Amino acid sequence: MPYYDTSQEWLRQSALLLEARPSTTRITTKYHITASSARRRARDLKRLKAQQESEPTTTTTSTTTKPPRGFLTLKTFDPHSGTTLKYKTTKAAEVSRLILSLGQLGRRMAALPEPEGRDAVMADAPVATEGGGEAAVVVEEKEKKSEPATTAGKGGQGQGQGQQSGGGGGGVGKGKKKKGKK
Amino acid sequence: MAHSSNDEFFAKLVELFDYRKGKDHGSIVLTQKRLTYDQPLPEATSDTILPDLHPPQPMPILIRATNAKGKEKRRAKEKVKLSTVVDADNLPAFFERYAEVCKVGMNTLKPRDRRRKGKAKKKKGGAAAVGGP
Repeated sequence: MPYYDTSQEWLRQSALLLEARPSTTRITTKYHITASSARRRARDLKRLKAQQESEPTTTTTSTTTKPPRGFLTLKTFDPHSGTTLKYKTTKAAEVSRLILSLGQLGRRMAALPEPEGRDAVMADAPVATEGGGEAAVVVEEKEKKSEPATTAGKGGQGQGQGQQSGGGGGGVGKGKKKKGKK
Repeated sequence: MAHSSNDEFFAKLVELFDYRKGKDHGSIVLTQKRLTYDQPLPEATSDTILPDLHPPQPMPILIRATNAKGKEKRRAKEKVKLSTVVDADNLPAFFERYAEVCKVGMNTLKPRDRRRKGKAKKKKGGAAAVGGP
């Protein structure tokens, strides 16, 4: 159940998972807000318990006026194999890009061909994956219940697809470079 | 529960986010998956062991949204559940609107740092921040 460091990697892996199990995989987006003061209070309480009766008032008064902080967690989960892929962020700047990448993954869920510009790659991709894909599928059928085996099969199957999502990753990569400059 | 139309769904989703705005805690959970219920799929044959990998026509997508309330809150009718079905043709338009709604709704996330110059002068703190993920 890994958390990925970059959204590109999450997107790539999720695309591969969807490729292997398009009808059972679901993507959950959780937007969660925690009151920062409550968090601090809990921490302070712990600290107080540890210290035991050492001026409780001074530590609690310093915690106020911080706005609540939210975070966003993206989770791709396939109940059949138990595969879970996650990505977590607190940056508002990433939201619309992430939702649009949900849209890209949605295209795969809907079994639509890749958007224009990648059609050329897609045109021969099915042929390429057919051979490898068939073998991987057989492996999956045999060992449906065992999680590591299915993920291995998925990896083999995904090879043909690697280039396309790589292309998508390249586009997003630009955004990352910009971030690096500041 | 019947699914809402896309327009209805967006209207209610905005309400859901607005309701969350005044609060200092809580969640909103959005889910998407392929709609397989009541959808025609060819029988599995020896040729196509898993027919869902290459369906003959594009499949619709089911989108759900809830405010993640459970147990007592569910009994008190505070749980909100929304769902809509997006046809494959509508996907790009839907997600553009979806992204817009989410961007506006998720306003407690960290805004982009606009104090770059001040930070550059301080320098060391900024460098450490850039090094992070």
